[in-house]
Amino acid sequence: MYTRRDRMFIAFLVVPSFILLGAVVLYPFIYNLILSFGNMNLTRIRDWQIIGIRQYVKILTEPMQPGFYDIFFKTIIWTVVNVVFHVTLGVFLALLLNQKVRGKSIYRTLLIIPWAIPQYIVALTWRGMFNYEYGAINLILTKYLSLPAVEWLKSPTEAFIACILTNIWLGFPFMMVVALGALQSIPQELYEAADIDGATWYHKLTKVTIPLIRPVMVPAITLGMIWTFNSLNIIWLVTNTGEPSDKTHILVSFVYKAAFNFYNFSQAAALSIFIFLILLTFSLIFMRRSKATEAAY
Amino acid sequence: MRLVAFAACVTVALGIAGCGPGTDDAHRVVIWHQMRPDERDVLQRQIDRYMSTHPGVTVVQVYKETETLRSGYIIGSIAGQGPDMVYGPSDPIGVYEATKTIRPMEDLFTRDYLADFDSSGQVWYKGHLYMLADKIGNHLALVYNKKYVARPPTTDRELITLCQQIQNRYGYTAGRPNVYGLAWNYTEPFFFIPFFTGFGGWIFGPDGVTPTLDTPAMIQALRYVRDLRDVYKIIPGESDYEIADALFKDGKTAMLINGDWSWAGYREKGMDIGVAPLPLIVETGRWCAPMTSPKGYSINVNVPPAKMALVLDVLKYLLSEQNQLETTRALNTAPTRRSVYQNPDVRNDEILMNSLLQIQRGRPMPVVPEMRAIWDAMRPSYQAVMGGTERPEQAAKDMQSLAERKIRDMME
Repeated sequence: MYTRRDRMFIAFLVVPSFILLGAVVLYPFIYNLILSFGNMNLTRIRDWQIIGIRQYVKILTEPMQPGFYDIFFKTIIWTVVNVVFHVTLGVFLALLLNQKVRGKSIYRTLLIIPWAIPQYIVALTWRGMFNYEYGAINLILTKYLSLPAVEWLKSPTEAFIACILTNIWLGFPFMMVVALGALQSIPQELYEAADIDGATWYHKLTKVTIPLIRPVMVPAITLGMIWTFNSLNIIWLVTNTGEPSDKTHILVSFVYKAAFNFYNFSQAAALSIFIFLILLTFSLIFMRRSKATEAAY
Repeated sequence: MRLVAFAACVTVALGIAGCGPGTDDAHRVVIWHQMRPDERDVLQRQIDRYMSTHPGVTVVQVYKETETLRSGYIIGSIAGQGPDMVYGPSDPIGVYEATKTIRPMEDLFTRDYLADFDSSGQVWYKGHLYMLADKIGNHLALVYNKKYVARPPTTDRELITLCQQIQNRYGYTAGRPNVYGLAWNYTEPFFFIPFFTGFGGWIFGPDGVTPTLDTPAMIQALRYVRDLRDVYKIIPGESDYEIADALFKDGKTAMLINGDWSWAGYREKGMDIGVAPLPLIVETGRWCAPMTSPKGYSINVNVPPAKMALVLDVLKYLLSEQNQLETTRALNTAPTRRSVYQNPDVRNDEILMNSLLQIQRGRPMPVVPEMRAIWDAMRPSYQAVMGGTERPEQAAKDMQSLAERKIRDMME
């Protein structure tokens, strides 16, 4: 039983965290919510007013450049493709590294490098590599693979693919490290028992490995989804702020542009609320469906 | 009980650290700018000299990327913070004025003091002086490598012929010229303006705020720039600022369209360069006219009256004749003080004289907030034309409608 004095002490220890969270999470969130119902833009930055749900209606019904639904669709593609590749590549490489391989630590270090390099350096390096005439990618395609050069950064689709390729390269090490940790925690006896039962490689993967790494991978995938959905740097830097023609934006990059390039703060706030609702819904459904919180054993 | 008190103190301290206002140091002057490294070096030398003669005063320069500078300054200033002075080109003055983040400066200077400044170095907007510049221009011109070009072209036809001659002289590898005739950043509409004006176009109508982008001049200019790449094949297939700059530095393009901010860097690299005004478009008989704008200092609206004398002293020092001359010698930029032009070093500088000729042929960049909408409306369609996904006629229409919508959004 806690005494009144203990409870007071606990409360005072917790209060700073609450104040900090309130200042850096709750207050900005509520302010953003209020802003999304207002008309704060360049000309009304000091005397903005509440105008109701007009920003939301405008986003959903009025044509924008680029259109909201286009950006939303691109964001879904961006997130799903990236995370699928991150997880597939990450788990595949983790399975390889979990074997008895010579020079395992060297491979592991090399594979973690993309994750260790600052994102903006990765993005700008890849941007240079995607140059039509002088970039390494086209030089490899034309010189060594006898394929035609691709105009990576000039056309919207190719530019978007370029961003995805960069982000895949950047993101798989995280999943690999998580999966490797999960694999190493699986008791060897389970595989030995499976061997005795005559299980094939495929059976061991689907009946032992995947179920046992799931509790670790599901939160990692959820985080990966949220991070990728909210990943501004790669799109912003590889395509130089959404080029060409603002056709490579995902939701967060467009929010950033709306707020800090167009000074349309209320529109950006309304878009941010959409992003929040999408991610909240996804996280709740994904966590519930995947039963991530249930024990594996 | 002591622990409870400690926790309470931590709470209060964290609260103060997290939410409290920044310190207002009466002897510390902060300047935000978007200067390149060589400009920063010159500024730092000047700041160091000031601080050595003013013990107890600290002047700090902080670099920020152009967009970050603008948005960060506006947000900081609205929150009652931000630097004491903000330095940059004049185009965001309209935005700063609309957000009431800079203060009028006409009450801070005497007429005699301002009389020595060229009128283009004083940015007046809506009847108030909002910027005092130390450089004028910030403009594009034709930079050429004397290794390839003996005499710069004066017309667009001469330019095309010269480029083709150079490309043929140095041959091709895998269908690509070993040395391109010309390069520039053709992803940014700022670099497109000289062609637009060369065909008789301008971004605003007579009232200075109504976009005039859907015009025959725009269509012709878009077609012309695209043809330079696809028909005359004298510019690279893809070229942003970094690529164009690197090609010129590596000797892989004979000529470059770039701004006065870049020329000193090429000379420092040991390149033998010349600067010439952009050519005349023979078809229209008009010069390609780049936008020009002064670069200078504005004062944050939040500078307290008690600190204004110090800020003003620093500003006057930075704008002094001696410092402008030093900047001009180091960076080849055009000064704003008339007296500096009497100096033989300035009068005999070939690059600077050609630069001044280009400024005379240029058009001042409007400082109205609508300018932002123009750039944002031009960029997507201009890039689409260069990317081959839109026709010039449609691009002109799209630019106009987008500019109108963005201005409407901005003003609603």
